[in-house]
Amino acid sequence: MTKQYDVAVIGSGVIGSSIAYHLSESRQKEILVIDQAYPLSGTSGSTQAWVWVHNKTPSWYGELSMLSAELYPFLERKIGDVEYKRTGGIAPFFDESDRQSALRLAEQQAEVGIEIEVLSREQVLEMEPALSPDIVGATYSKIDGNVNPFRLVELYIRAAKKNDVQFSFYNPVIDIRKHKGMFEVTTRKGVFITKQLVLAAGPWSRSVGKFLGLDIPVKQVRGQVLVTEPLAPLIKHTIGGMRQADNGEVLIGYSKEEVGYDRRTTLDIIQDTAKMAVDYLPDLAKANIVRCFAGIRVMPNDGHPIIGPIPTIENAYIAVMHSGITLSPLVGTVMTELFEYRETSIDLEKLRLDRFKEFKISV
Amino acid sequence: MDESTIICKCEEINLAEIESAIQSGAHTFDDIKRITRCGMGPCQAKICSSLVREIISQSLEVSLSEIGLPRMRMPLKPTRIAALAGKETSSSVVSVFAESAPKEGDES
Ligand SMILES: Cc1cc2nc3c(=O)[nH]c(=O)nc-3n(C[C@H](O)[C@H](O)[C@H](O)COP(=O)(O)OP(=O)(O)OC[C@H]3O[C@@H](n4cnc5c(N)ncnc54)[C@H](O)[C@@H]3O)c2cc1C
Ligand code: FES
Repeated sequence: MTKQYDVAVIGSGVIGSSIAYHLSESRQKEILVIDQAYPLSGTSGSTQAWVWVHNKTPSWYGELSMLSAELYPFLERKIGDVEYKRTGGIAPFFDESDRQSALRLAEQQAEVGIEIEVLSREQVLEMEPALSPDIVGATYSKIDGNVNPFRLVELYIRAAKKNDVQFSFYNPVIDIRKHKGMFEVTTRKGVFITKQLVLAAGPWSRSVGKFLGLDIPVKQVRGQVLVTEPLAPLIKHTIGGMRQADNGEVLIGYSKEEVGYDRRTTLDIIQDTAKMAVDYLPDLAKANIVRCFAGIRVMPNDGHPIIGPIPTIENAYIAVMHSGITLSPLVGTVMTELFEYRETSIDLEKLRLDRFKEFKISV
Repeated sequence: MDESTIICKCEEINLAEIESAIQSGAHTFDDIKRITRCGMGPCQAKICSSLVREIISQSLEVSLSEIGLPRMRMPLKPTRIAALAGKETSSSVVSVFAESAPKEGDES
């Protein structure tokens, strides 16, 4: 007889792995995670991995990011060292006229408890002497930081396996049906039966949604990142646009292109990104770039996460978002609350799938 | 070759680490790379890639030709940022600050 699962999660990126791990903590459910490839082959393995809060707007979205950032130290105590560092985050600006909007940002975010300072050039340069003197100011918050995304996903999975979660890798889901209240998930390696289903397929959410007749309103947005050779400590903070990893590499990049699922790196963006690097940190001109990579952001059409039940299909859930590295501890936590208590400690109303008019038309 | 033999010189990754990645389910060079950092060093896998592919081939008993090559990325050898920094700008590289800062009259 085919084994029946309580929950099957499609996708083992940072989101699917976090949900599986958090769900497994109470060890009450038989959980299966299915991935078409190997974890980290999707967006979670080609990311900047800032745990970034302070200029996420509107402020309710900033608040979600803050709550998630606050969970990181507890998460590390449970799953191990994911190299989370609360470095503080600096977002520089180069034009004096931006100071007004910086002050407005600080005021708005203060309403939800995100503390932002608007710094003068002197204050910025005192905190980060390597930054360019052309900078006229910056917004700064203590809450921002970064994490090692490879360690993060690996340790979510390791902790989940310890709690008896089953994983099936290199195994694409090719169809999903609902039969007598159970989902039949057809994969290359066979059919799995499950009571509840979670879609966590990142940039592939649209194609996985189609198996259930859903039109998931997400876009694919490519980002390209340059990686330097390991350098002596140059910057201490996470800077909007770049960070320095534990091993000394500086990761630079903040490009956005809608080119579908195309993970090539291109010379024009590499050149522009190199220029940005030097504009921010003049000393980087002398550093060598060792590699570049590109990742595909999954961007819901209105930019905000989609988290919660799929309104038209009982027992089906979805979690898809940009900034999933920042949000993964929170997403795992609230999805678990949803499964175990049917209610959540934060209001998921704004994150519902049926807020999109595209979705309403398709059902 | 024993367990402590260094396979990836740039990142100092030994045989045991590669084998444990394969045991936990990784089957391709790039998958092993993301778990162990093997191949992410300055030589960009030029030195370690054939060795790692041989280890995969032996552990999984598949022929070498079935194991994909690592994805090659620009630049193929380390290149100075100054040399890459072009003069023109493109609208695709955006400033984090400019994107999030609320404009006059925006709703919060
Ligand atoms: C350049 C760049 C920089 C970024 N910077 C940051 C940052 O600084 N901070 C931050 O918080 N976020 C950042 N992000 C975003 C963040 O990386 C993503 O939000 C996050 O990785 C999404 O995780 P995921 O699990 O949803 O997707 P993925 O990691 O892509 O996981 C989805 C998984 O689903 C699997 N899958 C898909 N279809 C199927 C199928 N049919 N059957 C089985 N399995 C399937 C895939 O194989 C994949 O493993 C960045 C993204 C990019 C591209
Ligand atoms: S030897 Fe592996 S990257 Fe150079």
